[in-house]
Amino acid sequence: MRLWALTRKEALLLLRDPHALAVLFIMPTLFLLLMAGAMSNYMQDKPPALRLVLELQQDDDASQFFREALQAQLADSQLLPSSDELLARVHVPETFADTLLDSPHLGPSLSFPAQFDKLSRQRLRSAVSIALAQTRLLAYLEDSGVIDAKLSRAERLKLVQQRTQSQIIEQEQLASGDLSGRANATQLSVPAWLIFGMFFVVLPMAGGFQREQQSGTLLRLRCLGLSLSTLVLSKLLPYLAINLLQFGLLLAIGVYGLPLLGLPALSLPGSAAAYGLLAISIALATCSLGLLLAALARSSEQALLLGGGINIMLAAIGGIMVPKSVMPAAMAQLAEVSPMSWALDAFLTLLVGHGSLADIAPYCARLLLFAALFGAGGLLLFTRRVQRTQWTTHY
Amino acid sequence: MLELKCVSHCYPGTRRAALQGINLQLNAGECLGLLGSNGAGKTTLLSLLSGVLALQQGELRWDSSQPRLGLVPQQLAFYAGLKVGENLELFADLYRLRGTERRQRLQQCIDICALEDKLTRRSEQLSGGEQRRLNFAIGLLQPAELYLFDEATVGVDANNRQSLLAAVEALTADGKAVIYTSHYLEEVERVAQRILLLHEGQVRLDLDKRQLLGDDHGLLLEWPDAPPAGLNELLARLQLHAEILPKGLRIAALNSQQLLAISEFIAAQDGLPNLLRFGRPSLEQLYLRLNGGRL
Repeated sequence: MRLWALTRKEALLLLRDPHALAVLFIMPTLFLLLMAGAMSNYMQDKPPALRLVLELQQDDDASQFFREALQAQLADSQLLPSSDELLARVHVPETFADTLLDSPHLGPSLSFPAQFDKLSRQRLRSAVSIALAQTRLLAYLEDSGVIDAKLSRAERLKLVQQRTQSQIIEQEQLASGDLSGRANATQLSVPAWLIFGMFFVVLPMAGGFQREQQSGTLLRLRCLGLSLSTLVLSKLLPYLAINLLQFGLLLAIGVYGLPLLGLPALSLPGSAAAYGLLAISIALATCSLGLLLAALARSSEQALLLGGGINIMLAAIGGIMVPKSVMPAAMAQLAEVSPMSWALDAFLTLLVGHGSLADIAPYCARLLLFAALFGAGGLLLFTRRVQRTQWTTHY
Repeated sequence: MLELKCVSHCYPGTRRAALQGINLQLNAGECLGLLGSNGAGKTTLLSLLSGVLALQQGELRWDSSQPRLGLVPQQLAFYAGLKVGENLELFADLYRLRGTERRQRLQQCIDICALEDKLTRRSEQLSGGEQRRLNFAIGLLQPAELYLFDEATVGVDANNRQSLLAAVEALTADGKAVIYTSHYLEEVERVAQRILLLHEGQVRLDLDKRQLLGDDHGLLLEWPDAPPAGLNELLARLQLHAEILPKGLRIAALNSQQLLAISEFIAAQDGLPNLLRFGRPSLEQLYLRLNGGRL
C-alpha cells in the first residue's frame, strides 16, 4: 500500500511537471524528426540522382555509344547536352573515337561545381569509368570482328554489357559493433535520440529527490520508518515505466510518423523479445544512473547541471550526436566507454544487421553490468543521504 | 511515556556538545513547551526524539516498543505539486489509515485546519498560512503517542491559529504527549503544562507552568523620560522592592493596598505614564529575564 502510494505520487508529480515532460518526450521527438530530416540526403540507401551536362564534341558512333552506356549506368539521372546552370560536366573530346584503342588512353574530362558532394562525385566517376571501359571494349571487339558494327547501338550495348557484367554474390555478415556507416538516417536517428531521451529521466529523478529533501517530506518519510527498499522502488518504478513508454512511443514515431514527412519508415526486424530485453537494459542503466545522481547532487540546480552535463557528454562521445563511422579511430575507441554507445550498437545490430536476441546479448550484458555497478553505488550513497536527513530549522 | 537520562550529543567536527546531560520525563497527556534561543539544542533534541539522529550517549526509553510520532516540522513538508486532498490521501496511505478511522481522521484534520474548500487546489498555489495549515493537518493526521510541533503556526492568521492551538490542547486532553516549540511564547504559555528551557545544550529550567508563572500579580510602569520624583520614597514607605528599568520600574508582587497607594501617587502627578500594566507576569517576560533578554 505504501509502495503503491509513493509510486503513484511520483508519477503524478512527473505528469504535472511540464519541463520534465518536455525533456522526456518533446525534446527527443524533435531531435529525432529534425536529425532524420537533416541527414536524410546524406545517409540514404540509394545513391542520389544526378543532373549533369554531357558535352560531346563529335556526333560519331563512339561518342553516342558512350552517352548511352553512361545513361545506362545512371538510369535515374538526367544527362543534358548543354546548360547554363552550375552542373557537373563530362567533356568528351573531339578525338574520342580515334583514340579509344590507344594505350595509355586519355579519357573524357570531368568538372565539378564546388557544392557537388563527395558521394555524387564518386558515383559519377564510377559511372564514367564503366561507360568508357564498355566503349573501349566495343571498339576492340568491333576491330577484332567479334561484334558486327552494323548492329544497332542498343544491341551492341547489350552484347558489351553481357561481356562486362558478372553475377556477384553478396552475403551479409552480422557485424558486431558499429553499423552506423551502413545505417540510413532513420535507422540512425530514431535509436540515437530515443536513447538520448531515455537517459534524460535522470533529471526529474534526481531533481525530485532534492525537492523532497529540501521540503522536509523526506524527513516525514524517514520518521515513518519506511523501508529503504520501498523508498528506492518508489523512485525507480515510475521512471522505468516512463522509459519503456519513451521506447515504444519513439519507435512508433519512427515506424509511422517519419513516412508522413517523406522520410524512410523505420522497419523493426528481429524478435520482440530482443527489443524488450534492450528496452529493459537501457531503462535499468538510466534509472541506476539517476539514483546515483540523486544521491550525489546537493540541490535541484546541481542535479540539473550534473545530469544534463553527463548526458550530453555520454551522447557526444557515444556516437549519438556524430555517428561513430565518421569519427577517427581514437574517438571511436573512446566511444566504447559510453553506455549510450552500447545501446546504439545493440539497436543497429537489430535494425541494420538484422541480428537476434543472442547477437545483442553482449551489449545488453554491458548495460546491465553498468546498471548493477551504478545502482549499487547509488543505493549506498542514497542510503547514507537518507540517513543523514536532518531536522532543519529556519527560525 | 518517554524518558531521557543523561542524553548528550555532539555533531561531527564540532567541539561544543549540542546537548549535554539532558534528563527529561514526559507523560501521556502532557504538553511540554520547549524553549531556547537559536542554537540552544531544541532541534537536536527533536531530532533525537524523532529518530532522525542516533543516540550517542545516555538513555532514551519509550513506554511502547514502536512509538508512533506525529510531526509538524518547520519546513512545509508536503508535495507542492500535489493537490491538498492528494497530499492528505497520500499521507493517510503512508500512515496506514483505513476504513472509518481514515475517513474520520481526514475529515477531522480538514475541519481543524479549515482546508475543506482547498482540497482540489495545488498545494503550491496556497498562501503561506494555508500551506502552514496543510503542514499541520498532515502531522495531525498521524495516529501517534507523541506529537512534535516545531514552529507549527508561523504565518497562520489569528483565527486559524486559535483553531490549531485548540487542536493541540485536544491532543493532550485525549491522553497524547506533545512537545511544542515556538517563538510565539503566548502560544507555548497557552498549550503547555510544563516549560523546558534549554540554554547552550543544557536544561536551564524544567518547571510546571503554574509553578513558573506563579500567582503573584506585578506592576510595570514606564514614563516618557524618567519616573517622577518622590516615587522611590513612596515605594520605600510601602516596603516594595522594584526592579529599575531605563524609563520605569517593575514590581514583582504587590497587594491591592499598595496598588491603590501607587495609583493615587500617579494621579497626583502632572503627566501620566506611557505604560501601566498590572497582572501576572507573562511567559515572555519570564523567558526574557531567564534567557538574558534573548528570544
